[in-house]
Amino acid sequence: MAIDCEDQELLEGFLAETTELLEKLDDDLIALEKSPEDAELMNRIFRSIHTVKGASSFLGFDMLVKVTHKTEDVLNRLRKGELFLNPEIMDVILEAVDLVKTLVADIKGGDIVERDLEGTISKLIPFLSENATEATVLAPSAAQKEKSATAPPAPESAAQPAPEAAPQEAGAPAAAATAPVVQPKPQQVKEPQKPAPKGEDLADNSTVRVDVKRLDDLMNQVGELVLERNRMIQLHSDYQTGLDPTGFGDDFGKLSKRLNFVTSELQMQVLKMRMLPVEKVFKKFPRIVRNLARDLGKEVDLVIIGEETELDRSVVDEIGDPLIHLIRNALDHGLETPDERLASGKDRTGTVVLSAAHEGNQIVISIKDNGRGIDPEKISKKALEKGLVTEEALASMGNREILDLLFLPGFSTKEQTTDLSGRGVGMDVVRTNIRKLNGIIEIKNDVGHGTEFILKLPLTLAIIQSLLVEVEKEVYSIPLASVIETMRVSKSEFHMIGGQEVLKLRDSVLPLLRLQQTFSCQEVYTDRDTCYVVIVGVAEKRIGLIVTRLLGQQEVAIKSLGKFLANLPGIGGSTIMGDGRVALIVDPIGLIGGGAA
Amino acid sequence: METALTKVKSEEYGGELIQLVSFNLEKEEYGINVLMVREIIRMLNITRVPNTPHYVEGVINLRGKVIPIINLRKKFDLMDSEYDKRTRIMVMEVVGELMGFIVDEVSEVIRISEKEIQPPPPAVSSGIEQECMAGVINQADRLLVLLDLERMFSADERRLFSNVG
Repeated sequence: MAIDCEDQELLEGFLAETTELLEKLDDDLIALEKSPEDAELMNRIFRSIHTVKGASSFLGFDMLVKVTHKTEDVLNRLRKGELFLNPEIMDVILEAVDLVKTLVADIKGGDIVERDLEGTISKLIPFLSENATEATVLAPSAAQKEKSATAPPAPESAAQPAPEAAPQEAGAPAAAATAPVVQPKPQQVKEPQKPAPKGEDLADNSTVRVDVKRLDDLMNQVGELVLERNRMIQLHSDYQTGLDPTGFGDDFGKLSKRLNFVTSELQMQVLKMRMLPVEKVFKKFPRIVRNLARDLGKEVDLVIIGEETELDRSVVDEIGDPLIHLIRNALDHGLETPDERLASGKDRTGTVVLSAAHEGNQIVISIKDNGRGIDPEKISKKALEKGLVTEEALASMGNREILDLLFLPGFSTKEQTTDLSGRGVGMDVVRTNIRKLNGIIEIKNDVGHGTEFILKLPLTLAIIQSLLVEVEKEVYSIPLASVIETMRVSKSEFHMIGGQEVLKLRDSVLPLLRLQQTFSCQEVYTDRDTCYVVIVGVAEKRIGLIVTRLLGQQEVAIKSLGKFLANLPGIGGSTIMGDGRVALIVDPIGLIGGGAA
Repeated sequence: METALTKVKSEEYGGELIQLVSFNLEKEEYGINVLMVREIIRMLNITRVPNTPHYVEGVINLRGKVIPIINLRKKFDLMDSEYDKRTRIMVMEVVGELMGFIVDEVSEVIRISEKEIQPPPPAVSSGIEQECMAGVINQADRLLVLLDLERMFSADERRLFSNVG
């Protein structure tokens, strides 16, 4: 059923507001579970749901009204103290919120799908009857938590009967919590065209709210720019009419200086506007961690540090998935069960620290757990078993390199893929995603005490410092972030080792790559006997790129090559130079990793 | 909003007359629906892109946007020729992406009625070209091949484009 809404603007407003409310709601609900006494928080949650209900009834989204109405009722009883919050109620409320998200996502997608509301609503209803307080227990005790997490999952289709069975209820929500997307009714319509959008996808960044002050500053700068443009037009016409041609050079010089100043200011400001606090991504984690912890029967404290750290929206959009995977990893593989923890002399409750901070021109995000750490022995055994490395190769590897095996496609230390680690992406995909962002990922490991995954990402993907080089008359741009040094060498200094050209660099041996060959450029200079070597490096790997000459440093704006030319080996994008021509941007990570990994 | 758009489109298509931009390639005349064509520009500096199929000439800067350029002669396996002052790049939107196509010469915009379009003759035309031949227009003194660029790249080629290496 397509959406028939007369007022598009109204609908868009509704969607924007609801999305925002729902995003906040998850966070608030998790916070509420920790401090059920917080009346203000309680009221805020109630108001949010109430607002969504009101707006959707106004616009005639009946399914939404139904779900929000029941949820609101449950919340109302909690608010009035007729019901006491415990993990089971929270499970059901969260499930209802997920259903609301799914419904909103449907509306956003422009297609209302008939969804099964009864399953969720019937779980809410028991909490609405008078004797519900008796059926649930006052405070969530640890013992009960465990019971509910390990209880056998009840079949989802069976709608929960009325309130008599308290223990049964404890099992069902736990099972339901693993499935945030409510199954659509058994295919009455042909499924295939569009997969149902997941609740998680709601937090997209298609609209931004910008501080009015920033907008005003921007407007000021644009005003300046217009002035400079007028000055330029004036200068041009003066020059054409032959007025004072002698002073032209001076005037032009001044003008370019001012123009330079104004544009860099403007650039800064626009960059700032594109900055989003990393909170946008982080705020869905409390919820994910809570669900996972309950599913896995583990006790976890999630500590979030530096959520106000800002980074470019292009990066914000991309880091969500890798982070989710790393967090899942930390909970699933890293942290031990409470009993195991007690046995090894730790607190029952494990801690996962998610932090973000600026470090120079980079943002560093770290996911740290105080679990069992990664056992290199286990990894090497697994890698051998799967035939990912040979025994000889393994023998020559240091601990660090062994940890790197984690990122090989097809690697999993878990004996069997669980519901949790099986879905989503593998570590190899995490690394690919991080690389795509020109970032690097490092592992710090302390066997028995925990693991830390550190992501280092550039602040923005839009503009980078780059080194322009010439390769046989073609111009390429190499991101400066990965350039370590450049040097001029005579071709006679190259050596061949096993078919690989190398250069003796101080006391190490540097593998070389002729860009002219990699990019199959036509050779124009045959008589030159010196060339330049640009040494690029990512993490510990170094490689020397042979180029014809260096043209200089420049700040360049990255342009995508479009989907037809995406994923070219060694090419990361393109940029437009001062003369209007296009220069391709070299992807050093692709060149280094491409051969080795 | 979307419905409004499709309505306009269907009106254009459903009407009796279709407007075609006609262009030449190796003395043959081709036509393409005018709605597909974004702009027609003169040859400019093309930056070669390594490791692409041979008919991808490279990329150009189209007012700040970088778009790929396809050499239609190479794509259709015709003899390569030098660019001259009549060579043009037709910028078109193909499956949602802007792309430029190098042609020998762009001649005119013609109106034809839908009835004039005949299905392409079977087996007469060769290989790749046939893929994107949507029809033949037989007018008194000329023969035009109607192209459908959406069908120009086979599924394999699309994969090649996005996954070279």
